Amino acid sequence: MSGVEAVNLCYSYGAMPIIRQASFELQAGEILSILGSNGCGKTTLLKCLNMLLKPEGRVLVDNVDLRSLSSRDLARLMGYVPQMHSPDFPYRVVDVAVSGRTPRLGFSIPSKQDYELAREALCRVGVGHLSEKYYTNLSGGELKLVLIARALVQEPKVLLLDEPTSHLDFKNRVMVLKILREIADDGIAVIMSEHDPNLASLFSDKVLLMMNKGEIVRYGPARDVISPENIMKVYGLDVEIFEKGGSRYIFPKLRD
Amino acid sequence: MASVDCMKYSRASLEFPKYKVALIFSPLILLILYLSVGKYNVSFDSIEQLLYSDSIDRTIFFNIRLPRAIEAMIFGACMGISGASLQTVLRNPLVSPYFLGISSGAAFGAALSMALFGNGNFFLVQPSAILFALVAVSMTLGLSKFRGQFTPISLVLSGMIISALFAGFLSLVQILVEPEKTQTIVAWMIGRLYSITWSDVKLSSPLALLGIIGLLCFRWRIFVLSLGDEDARSLGINVERERLVIILIASIATASVVSVTGIIGWVCLIAPHITRFIVGSDPKVLLPSSISVGACFMLLADMISRTIWSFEIPVGVITTLIGAPLFLYLMRRAQNEWR
Repeated sequence: MSGVEAVNLCYSYGAMPIIRQASFELQAGEILSILGSNGCGKTTLLKCLNMLLKPEGRVLVDNVDLRSLSSRDLARLMGYVPQMHSPDFPYRVVDVAVSGRTPRLGFSIPSKQDYELAREALCRVGVGHLSEKYYTNLSGGELKLVLIARALVQEPKVLLLDEPTSHLDFKNRVMVLKILREIADDGIAVIMSEHDPNLASLFSDKVLLMMNKGEIVRYGPARDVISPENIMKVYGLDVEIFEKGGSRYIFPKLRD
Repeated sequence: MASVDCMKYSRASLEFPKYKVALIFSPLILLILYLSVGKYNVSFDSIEQLLYSDSIDRTIFFNIRLPRAIEAMIFGACMGISGASLQTVLRNPLVSPYFLGISSGAAFGAALSMALFGNGNFFLVQPSAILFALVAVSMTLGLSKFRGQFTPISLVLSGMIISALFAGFLSLVQILVEPEKTQTIVAWMIGRLYSITWSDVKLSSPLALLGIIGLLCFRWRIFVLSLGDEDARSLGINVERERLVIILIASIATASVVSVTGIIGWVCLIAPHITRFIVGSDPKVLLPSSISVGACFMLLADMISRTIWSFEIPVGVITTLIGAPLFLYLMRRAQNEWR
């Protein structure tokens, strides 16, 4: 199949299991959101998918086992946007963005075309005006957008994003998710962790609901997975779901 | 898609910056100046006479000043780029080849070889210096990784510990050998260029130049490594392996020059910082520039050491005297950029 497939992924820190038997698949062009409470292992799962951690089980991209690839070939297939990044040196934003070309460069330095691509990507996520600034001076949200631009420059088949909407304002959240939808429509499989079930159900094709200790509660189409019962089970929170114009909206019940 | 308006903001800067011209020409200008000053006044009346006659002028120019100037430039260039590379790759503006224990390892190795085989045999001094430099830097890296992964602080502390350890070994060697050998070792340790001959240049330059070229080839990967381990790995870099290769290249190049000149302090820390101050932190620019700045710094320092007093002051003393206050100044100026 064209897309990503995770088969029986398991990972533990010492004796403590973090991911248990995670299996799912995602076609190219689809978005998968991983939902779950803080500390349930969403980040760990993402890092298992791109082999930053070494899980048991297999991850296949277009039927190729990632374990058989060099780190460079893997980086050509899979982009990763970390949740946080702490800058150490005052580099220009555009230099950081162009580092996404690294798996295609080897020992040469990026060409003018590579810089052009980086500037386009920065403009696409709405931070083109910052490209000559030092990235040590950016706000958390701006930095996030730069990292997303870097992943776009990488031109991967699969894009992993660890909370792409954290640190972003209301408008930028929607903008980022819209861009991710566009990227997916270009034939890329997008996997992200997300905190807001509303945004997840608006923008994703599939949802994976995780519980503490890495247990996967439900996995499937957003409409099936995000139900008051499942939310109760994962977050311990009472919610109501409204429908309007074909979309679903999830609100916490504040009063009995 | 990116709008035309947006791209207008961020057009590439294609002009050839002035500082590049300065960085290329200033070592050359300093070299000419260096060659023309000194205690003995070499007459430049006739270039023909200088080149072809068998005068004292010719001997001083070609067999004393020129090799010394070349060694000063190689030393400075090597220290500049090694320091800049290590600072970037280890994400710590305070590390330098000296801080990681490379130089004390090299000093111990060189002294050991002098003690065992006598001072004439400089062909053995260099391999021994390189070997112990590598031992020292591996110990520093091993020690700093003691609790999982290395942090900037643990690295600096481990470097201090290993430096102290090898300084102790070095003292031991000095005490245990015959007095006349101790003298050689002490003279070598202070860090000086006055005894440099063409054979020293031939001995130290191949590995130093290879190291400089190697680090230049790695400059993009050094940049990506400095973005952090996870980022670099997800961009397709084998972090542990490449970082080790870069540290090894820098160590071998450093040990190779140190084995000939002795320990000339502060250059490996100061030269990268002056460079950063002029051209910024981007390794694409920083690394090549630090070669030039390092060479200039050493030429200047050695010029001062040759001319300021009635007798010669070892250049290591000058670099330390310039280095410490300059570092303090740069640190204050750049405080907000260092985080």
